[in-house]
Amino acid sequence: MLNLADPELEARVTQRLAGFCGFLRANGFAVGGGDAQQVLQAAQHVGVLDSELLRWSLQALLCGRCDEWRRFGELFDAWFLPPNRWSAPQAREFEAGLESGVHGEAGRGAGQDHPRDARRAASARELLARTDFSELLEREHQLDLEALMRQFARRLKHLRLRREARARHGRRLDLRATIRRSVATGGTPLHLAWRDRRRVRPRLVLLLDVSRSMAPYSFFYLRLARALAGELADVHSFIFHTRVTAVSEALRDPDPWRAQERLHLLAQGWGGGTRIGESLAQFNREHAARLVHARTAVIVLSDGYDTGEPALLAAELARLRRRARRIVWLNPLCSRPGYAPVSQGMQAALPHLDLLAPGADLASLAAVLPRILEALS
Amino acid sequence: MNDRLAEVTGLQQALAEAGYIAEPALAAALLLMQDLGRPLLLEGDAGVGKTEVAKALAAVRATRLIRLQCYEGLDAHAALYEWNYQRQLLAIKLLEQDARSVAEKEQDIFSERYLLKRPLLEAISCEQPPVLLIDEVDRADEAFEAYLLELLSDFQLSIPELGTVHAISRPVVVITSNGTRELSDALRRRCLYQYLDYPDYEKELAIVRLKAPQAAPALARQVVAFVQAVRRMELQKKPGIAETLDWTASLLRLGISVIEKDGAERILQTLGALVKTREDRAAFPREAVARLAAAC
Repeated sequence: MLNLADPELEARVTQRLAGFCGFLRANGFAVGGGDAQQVLQAAQHVGVLDSELLRWSLQALLCGRCDEWRRFGELFDAWFLPPNRWSAPQAREFEAGLESGVHGEAGRGAGQDHPRDARRAASARELLARTDFSELLEREHQLDLEALMRQFARRLKHLRLRREARARHGRRLDLRATIRRSVATGGTPLHLAWRDRRRVRPRLVLLLDVSRSMAPYSFFYLRLARALAGELADVHSFIFHTRVTAVSEALRDPDPWRAQERLHLLAQGWGGGTRIGESLAQFNREHAARLVHARTAVIVLSDGYDTGEPALLAAELARLRRRARRIVWLNPLCSRPGYAPVSQGMQAALPHLDLLAPGADLASLAAVLPRILEALS
Repeated sequence: MNDRLAEVTGLQQALAEAGYIAEPALAAALLLMQDLGRPLLLEGDAGVGKTEVAKALAAVRATRLIRLQCYEGLDAHAALYEWNYQRQLLAIKLLEQDARSVAEKEQDIFSERYLLKRPLLEAISCEQPPVLLIDEVDRADEAFEAYLLELLSDFQLSIPELGTVHAISRPVVVITSNGTRELSDALRRRCLYQYLDYPDYEKELAIVRLKAPQAAPALARQVVAFVQAVRRMELQKKPGIAETLDWTASLLRLGISVIEKDGAERILQTLGALVKTREDRAAFPREAVARLAAAC
């Protein structure tokens, strides 16, 4: 099939090519069972003697997004170059297991190459979703959590899409205007007028506390914001400590590492004290008029330890509440046994909130966020 | 030399003649796209030359470029076809005295004469396969994306009153996305993929040489070094290739043939071609420009 002179070599190369898909899948690529066939077909067109040519072609064939594109070269070398020269990247077993739970077909394909226990993966996922963010320190966990967040954000999107789809039924003829226009043509409705459905999209505004006391959590909240912004159309993110900075643009950077760099630059003074009241005042002054409307939920993610004036916090929250549909405060400390919102900041804020909920792990976020979206649509 | 490699180099050359500098990886992907008959999804920041790929490809293949610009709320009527209601209504009036049966009249009213072809229908009914550019697909909503998928895999579409329209030719499909919204996995898996970065120094220099031959080589080198430095800054909107070319043109218009250390004042006059938002403009005080100019 590949037209190599030696049939034994041909068999070996074919196997190597076919196995590449499984290897990519184990490394978190969205490659399906049918792709092996495509790889062979492409190899047939391109030939396998020139490794650069094969690399370019398979990269175009098997990558589907920017991060895959950037990681491809390394994985290609690891698989196709002689084994001693490269150490293979570790297979990300957990995420692959997760995939197999979602896409049955991909899972079956994966089972042939890397037998793995789907149930173990499922329970690992369960566990991960319930682990407090501050205890997730290993890099591997963070990657898995990100995959979970993406999945979760996708579910939110479907929730919203279903509602929108139900509400929308194509354009409608505006009979009144059509008939009025037809006066000039002797009653023949030559110029049709259409009525457009006016709709305001639900919008999320996230205000993330990145002060020192929030340090174990802020990193995850930023990832959450990134995942939400990737899946939902109208998400605006801000970080605050003593002042407010818009970060949506930086989070939208297709390259996650560059996004992180940009965030670092934006968040000068990151990890300092907290002045929630002043930060909210600044948000109200500079952004609220543009961003917050009747279908907006403002979500504050903070532990409520405030070094500023409680009265100011209360006043600014009240002002914000007049604009927004919902104000929700997610507090990572809330789920701890024995926690009561007694800090001055929380006390000042409570009367102006629609909801105070825990937000220390993914499971509690998953419980709250769909409800917020429901309330918006 | 491998035949295929020769093909890649050949396509690179042909693209260069059409005014587009392509990396070998892109040329290889464009060839593979032909072999496998799959669309190509191009992602990358605004201004890296995604749209240009389709234009150059159409030029190389000496065929038409049909462009569908996506936007929020784009629906089938704007992308596929629409009946020409006004003409239909007129026709009904004219047919009033006609002796034919109602069924015949109806067939006449819903015939191709009254069909307005929008880009997608146009693309599959061309004699010679055109290049179909679906620009900024991330701006259209998910429902439209799903619709697009169906069309691109079957190359046919059904018009209720007329029946199924089969493709006369299979267009070469290039899809671009700026990444403002996450695209569906289904779309990604159906396409070949190419991520375009901002060009590196060498490539951008080659582009400036090609597109602005009136700029002296020394100026071209300075311009590219300056732009590359600007891109490394923290800006809301980084200058793309078009901005580089605009800026070169405005420098030439002012008769600047070399960027000098103390020429910050004159550079500032032309900076509008490079930096497009007020906030970004604030990142270029006189000293910063002088520093950048001195460095290149």
